[in-house]
Amino acid sequence: MKIKKDEVIWLLIFIAPAIGLFFLFFILPILFLFITSFTNWDGISAEFVGFENYVKLFNKKTFIRAITNNLYWCLTAAIITVPLALIIALLLAHRSRGWKVFRTVLFIPQVVSSAAIAMLWAAMFNSEYGLVNFLLDYIGFSDYQNHNWLGNVRTANAALIGFSLCYVGYFMVIMLAKTASISDDYYDAANIDGASQFQKDVHITAPLIKSTFFLCIILAVIFNLRQFEYVYLMTAGGPANKTQVLVVYIWNELSVQRLGRGNAAGVIMIGIGALLLLTLRKLLKSETYN
Amino acid sequence: MQRDLSVNFYIIFKWVIIISFVFYAVFPFLWLVLASLKTNAELLDDPFKLPEVFQFKNYSDAIQAAGLGRLIINSLVISTCATFLNILFASMCAFAIARHTFWGKNVLFLMITAGILVPLNALIIPYFAIINFLNLYDTRLGLILVYCSVGLPVSTFILTEFFKSIPKEIEEASFLDGSNFVSRYFRIMLPLALPGLATAGTFQFILCWNEFIYAMLLTSSTDIRTIQFGISYFTNQFFSDYVGMFAAVVISIIPSITVFILFQERVITGLTAGSVKG
Repeated sequence: MKIKKDEVIWLLIFIAPAIGLFFLFFILPILFLFITSFTNWDGISAEFVGFENYVKLFNKKTFIRAITNNLYWCLTAAIITVPLALIIALLLAHRSRGWKVFRTVLFIPQVVSSAAIAMLWAAMFNSEYGLVNFLLDYIGFSDYQNHNWLGNVRTANAALIGFSLCYVGYFMVIMLAKTASISDDYYDAANIDGASQFQKDVHITAPLIKSTFFLCIILAVIFNLRQFEYVYLMTAGGPANKTQVLVVYIWNELSVQRLGRGNAAGVIMIGIGALLLLTLRKLLKSETYN
Repeated sequence: MQRDLSVNFYIIFKWVIIISFVFYAVFPFLWLVLASLKTNAELLDDPFKLPEVFQFKNYSDAIQAAGLGRLIINSLVISTCATFLNILFASMCAFAIARHTFWGKNVLFLMITAGILVPLNALIIPYFAIINFLNLYDTRLGLILVYCSVGLPVSTFILTEFFKSIPKEIEEASFLDGSNFVSRYFRIMLPLALPGLATAGTFQFILCWNEFIYAMLLTSSTDIRTIQFGISYFTNQFFSDYVGMFAAVVISIIPSITVFILFQERVITGLTAGSVKG
């Protein structure tokens, strides 16, 4: 709708709060992050130091470990969590009795705070009273009695990444919703040809929700790049920095007042995020056109 | 015959997969609730054994000893205010974008929604500096502002899509009647957009209630802190009172699950409307 002249002022008033807050909490912080990443800012004074922060970061083993761990999280989500979610979505798409209940129940971990989930799973993995060890013992893996999953250098990462599978529900719900838009004609035609349920799932439903599948991978990558609570609350990056991730690394730099260095890590994180997003989008485009 | 066999296998496969993931998603919560009703001694025993006496005392202890009541009220106040402001500002902006043409409109929409993709946790140091600069460190207002802003891109996106779906004729009729910009927003668009507001509001409330990192970063006194930070504090405060910690975690989970169960259709449609198009 065209606006009357005297309404321009109202239009400005309506968009002003959103623009103001967006500037204050999105644009300004990003500019600030970028500029101070070239200084040795410690909260009081700042001097320009060029690329020193970046050079130092890339020479730190812990920082490289944080990047690779973040990439592990993303990769696990992309090749395990999201495909599993796809399988469950295909199965629930049959809409057999009770499918809505299963959908709701599987989605629940997503609405619970990450802090609560982290504490819950830290308790699950606890060596004295945790349920994981008890169940393993119960089914016969007695080696794991009193095994400290999160405190052991070999198992900490596996435990952390393993529990994150409880988030399949989120991606499943997104893909399941997409299946609702598929026309029944396809299935009717397949039924006439005598296709089995499995054939219909694999040859009709799956290809038709491909774009949503890729979207879920993009979402999974973003979430796993910025994750903080699990590592911070369950292992604090340990043992021996084995489970370090980028945001926890930045947090640690903040707590020792190396703000410039922390911000350089932030710039690298945003850069990695942008790079992953662009690559995935490119893959997605070439996939949809083929 | 062979055909029937494979059909049966597929059905068995289907239920095994579904049931095992339901188990994976829900079983830990059931264990948590059961454990929160035991004594610390019973916890070390068989995890499936019911406690001798249900220790509801754990809950009252957690609320009193750790001052959880205070933290819950803080969380409620902060989440409610941030959700209200967020929906107000986002709907105003979405109304301007969805129902009018003006210079720079598309750039504005693109820029705000691109905010969804920014990994905001990279910005903890700048946020800390900005909040300190505004003299809002350790205040409820500081957290409210941050939460309200962090959720703006998603809310603006959901609401713009929703406003666009409302037929133009309704608004045009009132336009001819001579009603002005503000009353078109309050009297006509907001009532029609109630389902959209509920969707965006539910999202925003759950986001605020669950937020952890900024609550930890931007507050320091127990008078201001929120429940999510409060439960993590338990690990330090009561070294060995695991059951008290479990009770606190259960308490922190209840509101978001309640809101979700009440508004689940809204959450799920909003989620899919928002992400499937994006």
